[in-house]
Amino acid sequence: MTRPAAGGDQHPLEPRMAKRLAEVVGSAGVVTEPGRLLAYESDALTRFRRSPRAVILPRTTEEAARVVRLLVEEGIPLTPRGAGTGLSGGGVAVPGGVLVGTSRMDRILTLDPGRRLARVQAGVVNSDLTVAAEPHGLHYAPDPSSQAACTLGGNVGENAGGPHCLKYGVTTRYVTGVTVVTGSGEVVELGGDGRCESLDLVGLFVGSEGRLGLATEIELRLVPRARGVRTLLAVFSSTEVAGAAVSDIIAAGLLPAAMEIMDQGTIQAVEASIFAAGYPTDAGAVLVVEFDGTEAGLDAEAEAAEALCREAGATQLRRARTEAERQALWQGRKKAFGAFGRITPDLIVQDATVPRSALPGVLARITEIGRRHRLRVANVFHAGDGNLHPKILFDRRDPELVERVEAASREMMQACVEAGGTITGEHGVGLDKRDYMHLVHGPQELEVMRAIQGVFDPAGVWNPGKMLPPAPDGADSQDTPGARGKGADGAEAKGEAGGEPDAKVGVEAHGGADENTRWEPSSVQEVSRLLAYTSRTGTPVRIVGRDGDPNSGARLRLVASGLPGEVDHAPEDLTVTVGAGCPIESLQDRLAASGQWLPLDVPCSRGWRVGELVARGEWGPLAPAYGRVRDLLLGAELVAGDGRVLQLGGRVMKNVAGLDLVRAVAGSRGRWGAVTSATFRLMPMPRAHAVLAWEGDRDAMRDLAGRLAVHPVLPASLVRVVAQPRETDSAGDGAGGTSVRDRVLVRLLGSSPTVDAEARELGTDFPGATVWTSQPRGPGFLDDDPVTQAVEGEAGEGQGGKLDHEEGVLLELRCGTMNGATLEGKLARLLPSGRPWIHLPLAGVWRVSLGEREVDAVDPVSLAGLAAELRNQGGDLCALRGRVPGLGRPEGPLDLLERRVCAVFDPAGVLDTAPILRGGAGSDAGPRSSPEAK
Amino acid sequence: MSAPEGGTLGLAGQDEKLLACVHCGFCLPVCPTYRVLGDEADSPRGRLHLMRAVAEGRLPPEDPSFHIHLDRCLGCRACEPVCPAGVPYGELLEHAREEVSRIRPSGVLTRLLLVAFGNRWWNRFVGTKGRILRATGLPAWWGSLYAGSHHGRPGGVGDAVRLGMAMLAASAPWPGLKGSAVPVADPESPDGSLDDSTQVGSSVEGLGRVGILKGCVQQGLFGRVGLATRRTLAANGYQVVEVEDVGCCGALHAHAGRLDEARGRARRQIGAFRRAGVEWVAVDAAGCGAAMKGYGALLAGDPEWADAAAEFSASVRDVSELLSMAGPRPGARVELRAAYDPPCHLLHGQGVSEPVHDLFRAVPGLTVVPVPDGGRCCGGAGIYGLTQGELGGEITREKIRCIHDTGADVVLSGNPGCMMQIGGGLLRAGIDMGVVHPVELLDESYRRAGLYGK
Repeated sequence: MTRPAAGGDQHPLEPRMAKRLAEVVGSAGVVTEPGRLLAYESDALTRFRRSPRAVILPRTTEEAARVVRLLVEEGIPLTPRGAGTGLSGGGVAVPGGVLVGTSRMDRILTLDPGRRLARVQAGVVNSDLTVAAEPHGLHYAPDPSSQAACTLGGNVGENAGGPHCLKYGVTTRYVTGVTVVTGSGEVVELGGDGRCESLDLVGLFVGSEGRLGLATEIELRLVPRARGVRTLLAVFSSTEVAGAAVSDIIAAGLLPAAMEIMDQGTIQAVEASIFAAGYPTDAGAVLVVEFDGTEAGLDAEAEAAEALCREAGATQLRRARTEAERQALWQGRKKAFGAFGRITPDLIVQDATVPRSALPGVLARITEIGRRHRLRVANVFHAGDGNLHPKILFDRRDPELVERVEAASREMMQACVEAGGTITGEHGVGLDKRDYMHLVHGPQELEVMRAIQGVFDPAGVWNPGKMLPPAPDGADSQDTPGARGKGADGAEAKGEAGGEPDAKVGVEAHGGADENTRWEPSSVQEVSRLLAYTSRTGTPVRIVGRDGDPNSGARLRLVASGLPGEVDHAPEDLTVTVGAGCPIESLQDRLAASGQWLPLDVPCSRGWRVGELVARGEWGPLAPAYGRVRDLLLGAELVAGDGRVLQLGGRVMKNVAGLDLVRAVAGSRGRWGAVTSATFRLMPMPRAHAVLAWEGDRDAMRDLAGRLAVHPVLPASLVRVVAQPRETDSAGDGAGGTSVRDRVLVRLLGSSPTVDAEARELGTDFPGATVWTSQPRGPGFLDDDPVTQAVEGEAGEGQGGKLDHEEGVLLELRCGTMNGATLEGKLARLLPSGRPWIHLPLAGVWRVSLGEREVDAVDPVSLAGLAAELRNQGGDLCALRGRVPGLGRPEGPLDLLERRVCAVFDPAGVLDTAPILRGGAGSDAGPRSSPEAK
Repeated sequence: MSAPEGGTLGLAGQDEKLLACVHCGFCLPVCPTYRVLGDEADSPRGRLHLMRAVAEGRLPPEDPSFHIHLDRCLGCRACEPVCPAGVPYGELLEHAREEVSRIRPSGVLTRLLLVAFGNRWWNRFVGTKGRILRATGLPAWWGSLYAGSHHGRPGGVGDAVRLGMAMLAASAPWPGLKGSAVPVADPESPDGSLDDSTQVGSSVEGLGRVGILKGCVQQGLFGRVGLATRRTLAANGYQVVEVEDVGCCGALHAHAGRLDEARGRARRQIGAFRRAGVEWVAVDAAGCGAAMKGYGALLAGDPEWADAAAEFSASVRDVSELLSMAGPRPGARVELRAAYDPPCHLLHGQGVSEPVHDLFRAVPGLTVVPVPDGGRCCGGAGIYGLTQGELGGEITREKIRCIHDTGADVVLSGNPGCMMQIGGGLLRAGIDMGVVHPVELLDESYRRAGLYGK
């Protein structure tokens, strides 16, 4: 790897340019003095150093956009920089480049406790947001160790993790919208909680390491602060024994908020620092385990974990008795990196994730590699996630030693990849890991990432040279089959080794390719071959999950339900990889046998296969507590629109190696290609299950739902069912008529003492509830619970049974700044009499199902009017399933961006646009006009 | 500059301490200048990086960037308690400033200050004149000109003079401390002339012999605090003994990078206290306390003095620490709502927090409210407000806003510089709030309790 020389190797920015920039950001916002620029020559990974030509510190999105336009005009490359706490060289200037720093964009713009949302400028420090949210009983969940210093913009750029991501998930789960300054200096708003979901561009942006643009403002989801916490320290003779205890805790079905292991080297470094936490310095390893949640269940959980640690061989157990003791345990862990400063001049913190069960083997190999290269290696890791951080101690003034460090780093990465892991779990690729990217991604996947980067930033001005290795010379040369330009044929060559090059053969076997044909491939290779054919011949095709879809129009259909559905379950890792053809119910059956489940409850999804589940990306009432499909998805196999078989993501809990294509596969709705398999993270099956239901008039129930949404008990689901009087039984009675009663339902899941205590507390605080309980013993335990019944029952009522949304319509509304009651008033006037709807207060979403005949009864002009009104107020209205004429929205810059991203996967533009939500739910589109992307 | 005695010059030889910084960036958000400016060159990590570049020869020490960003450092040391690597920032800063002082002479203001307070006779003179001027009421009037408005160019000469006047005015005792309900029976000697013969409640049990640093600014303008320290220590069982007044402790010199002069002052202080034969050295000015606790490091390279300095530093205590060790015994009620703003050199420089609260707990009726973001420097930092008017002004205004938000009657802070900076800031913002040293408050509580007799 060529490493930049020491600072001062860059020409300073021309004074003329500096002056123009100062006119935009003020003279204090432009740094050009070479001496002063030395302070910016590296981030927290000091191995990579280069002084920028200048540092620009804008204060607003508008200033940032003007700065970018000025610099791009001159062809000067840009690198975003937050607090410079990154550990992969992501925030270091590129040759000839400048830094755009966010340190002066440090305002929290809005904090909405009711919707649990915050909008911040990118330079806000991670822990400052939590401090601001604390008075409302909320906090920002991702907690990287540098949280006291690192910025949220940097967290978004790197998709940062942290110890508590074991339970709460990483940054991408909490980002609902991003304001981005693209490579042309244009400002685009990606996502936004008020908008119906479309292609997940936010998911693509998070973790893009500054390659797609600069995030200037971020909308973030906050979560309630757990009311109780137990933190325990277990002391072991070695990391292996500690690792075994972690496995036992997972196997027992416990779900700690965090599990961290430190080895002896780390313990000694920490104990020598001012953050000494009282870890015994002669111990081989210590394990910190934390449980949080409702008080009632915590002691039982902590005791169970302690017992398991003792059985595994813990020599000493300690539980934090006070918040100060707990903080001490955590400070030691979180300051471990810096604590090494006093014992070594330089330090590399490595970062890799492996399946948890592979940890012991990988740790042994890392020790061996360190020994072989005569290096001091200490270890600290997020054991619950399988995320390792080996720390290599060295002195950069000794070039021979640096070489050994690099060799050892590479070998460690190789060892992790061989064990089924990835090269970075949370620090990012940056400059450090770029040359390892090929260890985890094939040329096709890298090409896709490069192409998407080109969509956002065609001129390549943002952080060039970071994360993505350069394209091999002559991209379509012989040694890169399937690379772009080769397209379909290349994919086919890979899909069917040594097979028949003429795709037509396969097509004929499937009954030709005319408009009425229905293909039902039974293998990935077949899908690849068929899509290669349609792409090459320009034949329009629609990928559907199952039969029974009348909406495909005159179009060839590829039905994915016949694909294999093997289940490869790794209970010790809490993951499963499953073929697209597996019905969801069969998958849950298999998982239940090991006491685990995939916590998804998409309404009316019986009969769906896994492929359809992923492609639709829909979610149900469990989502605010457990995450959506996108949050549970770890990896996927996708046959792209041109037949390339792409492996996206992996089988590990945390993975930031390259652009995150996994988030956006969920909900790509057949626009990228066919999902042929998926890997999910799983949860231990809850031990207890209760539903509390209240009934009352409209206002009382609305008020109750509002109070439950901010109550400290965090339910698994909160649903309000809004009934509507039928004209026949209560004409003129209006809302709140005695004949119809609204309902509010709360679903609680967890351990028995927790669920009991929470049910008691809610019952006391909100009297009058009917309580229903069960013990989730087997699969499908949610099928008959009152929440599911309410959601699906209301959905199907109009038809006298379960609504098949392929015939009817499922509308979703988001109120934005419109008052919820106002929205419901308008909705009531619009819908046919007797048509109820549901409100999911924790997600800020209303949903209405309309049967086939009911759709006709809705005045399309009024509906379109409501949609427009909502969109004007930052809300939205769309059809999640089925179609309503006139709901389309005017084309915006996002549609262009989405289409160009889709064209990366489907360059010929043969895949159906009908399933697109944005702008598409109404206008039935024919084959798309030629894609703009090139 | 003369050859170094008892220490290496500038940044030479500081490699190991500089290398301890792993560039993690944890210090950025606690640095007041980084928070305001957003420039990493004005963060502790950035400044250390510039120091290291100078030490490595990559940046010439003449480079203006090196000077500008060092000059802007408040020296508040808020970065030290958050540093996992334990980089001795304050110490390195002094060495870096020494490096600078070899190239560029100290500013006029700095030199004036060093003469005014560094020389014992000048100090006495300035102190007396200052008190006379203060008593005329002129500084209070002048300092509160344009109160609450942003008149004039921040950082300009008029602004600096107003600040100086406001600070002088703010050094006066707060009249509100002696509640009007209590008969005024002032046992205090006139400011500045400590009654050396006072032997209040001499120790019976004996917690040990204590000598009190008289210092410079503290003695000149805050003599009442010194008396309060003497009385409260004695009331808690310490035997307060006389120590020869050798003037300034050298903190001002060290902060300005004049380490040789600082070493000279340190030797003089060590000698004086050694001659007095004390077990404890009590300090009621946080800046001086931090510096004297650092004598060990300052003289580490001086074979003749290293051991004595280390031993001396180990005996230095903030007055609150000594009181806390003794209890302290409770006094009578003082009904006050007070905002506590810890001096940086007490909180960060000495890591002393709980003992001050022990002191507060000994005063019944006192309600202490924390100042939001209380660990952040007030912008005092010696003559920072005069040399870095604009930046210092912004930092002080933010502190005043936080203090005002507490709605307290009075601000407590245990360092003369902070008391003057905060008091001056309040005066200039048109906020009627007093500033009191914690030990003054305890003293008043004891007085009301009749511990000093009548």
